Amino acid sequence: MARAHRAAVLGTIAIIAYMLTLFNVLSVPLVDAKIAEQILPVFPWWLLVSFGSYCLWSIGMGLATLRECPEAYNELLVEITAAKNDLRAKGVTVD
Amino acid sequence: MNPFASPTSLTMQGTHRSLDTHKYSVILPTYNERANLPVIVWLLARTFTEQELDWEVVVVDDASPDGTQEVARQLAGVYGEDKILLRPRAGKLGLGTAYIHGLNFVTGDFVIIMDADFSHHPKFIPQFIRLQKAHNLDIVTGTRYRATSKPATVDALPGGVHGWDFKRKLVSRGANFLADTVLNPGVSDLTGSFRLYRLPVLRHIITETVSKGYVFQMEMMVRARALGYTVGEVPITFVDRIFGDSKLGASEVVGYAKGIWTLFVSV
Repeated sequence: MARAHRAAVLGTIAIIAYMLTLFNVLSVPLVDAKIAEQILPVFPWWLLVSFGSYCLWSIGMGLATLRECPEAYNELLVEITAAKNDLRAKGVTVD
Repeated sequence: MNPFASPTSLTMQGTHRSLDTHKYSVILPTYNERANLPVIVWLLARTFTEQELDWEVVVVDDASPDGTQEVARQLAGVYGEDKILLRPRAGKLGLGTAYIHGLNFVTGDFVIIMDADFSHHPKFIPQFIRLQKAHNLDIVTGTRYRATSKPATVDALPGGVHGWDFKRKLVSRGANFLADTVLNPGVSDLTGSFRLYRLPVLRHIITETVSKGYVFQMEMMVRARALGYTVGEVPITFVDRIFGDSKLGASEVVGYAKGIWTLFVSV
């Protein structure tokens, strides 16, 4: 089963559960009916905003933690010259 | 296969202090890498000789016009025809088929794929090998985005990049986030292409992979996870494009999104 199919099945179940609670066919457990009535209509928007802020947070964290490695760059330059000199001495064409 | 009866262990008797009876093959697809190929082979040879590992490099050249094959032949003269295998192709035929072509000539039991332009440094290969042995992993991939390896080891140094401006970093992180959310691949760096594979695992995955270009690397990882192979990660430093520059245009972005969608729907 591909990811898309799994996501579609879970999504359909979630939407049906949401519709059922929204139209009062099922009641939300553990929450007072009046409060549920107020929260349920805006629940999808809340999900969207939460997902948006999660995206922003994740990308921001990723940018902040993406390390620069100047020491690797310098080490590499030294190794390149060493390699070129060594191979030139052994008869390989190096630019 | 009985590792004590492999050609490597039979011929290595008494010549190596290493207890490692595995042979590590590096497949290097090249196109116009005349300047880079000698250096990367020198670095690989140094790493493998220091670690006392049996190795070979399969150079798959796509008919480079700049004389890459001539340089490869000279390197074979220096290091041995059994160590540097030049297996050219008639034209520029793409990365995926280059690996398939290279796999026909591999005599090792582990395959390392990497770029030939110094963005991947061979000094991380021993860490890949150690992690693979410690946890009997099928695949070890390098990641630029982590500071510790997964599963954890003591000798892993933090990963990183060099040569990326802010826009490039943003694009990279955004692309990775998209792939992570949609595909949940279980690795932190999905577009990376510095990996160690067990040979039968690579053969199996490559027969299942259908994409082209860099999406191909993503697809291999996603399929590997879907097929149940174990994957570990080692942080690597990635020094980008010291010779030349690359462009990331709108068509690449669209191609990437299409690739993710295809993987989402088919794997």
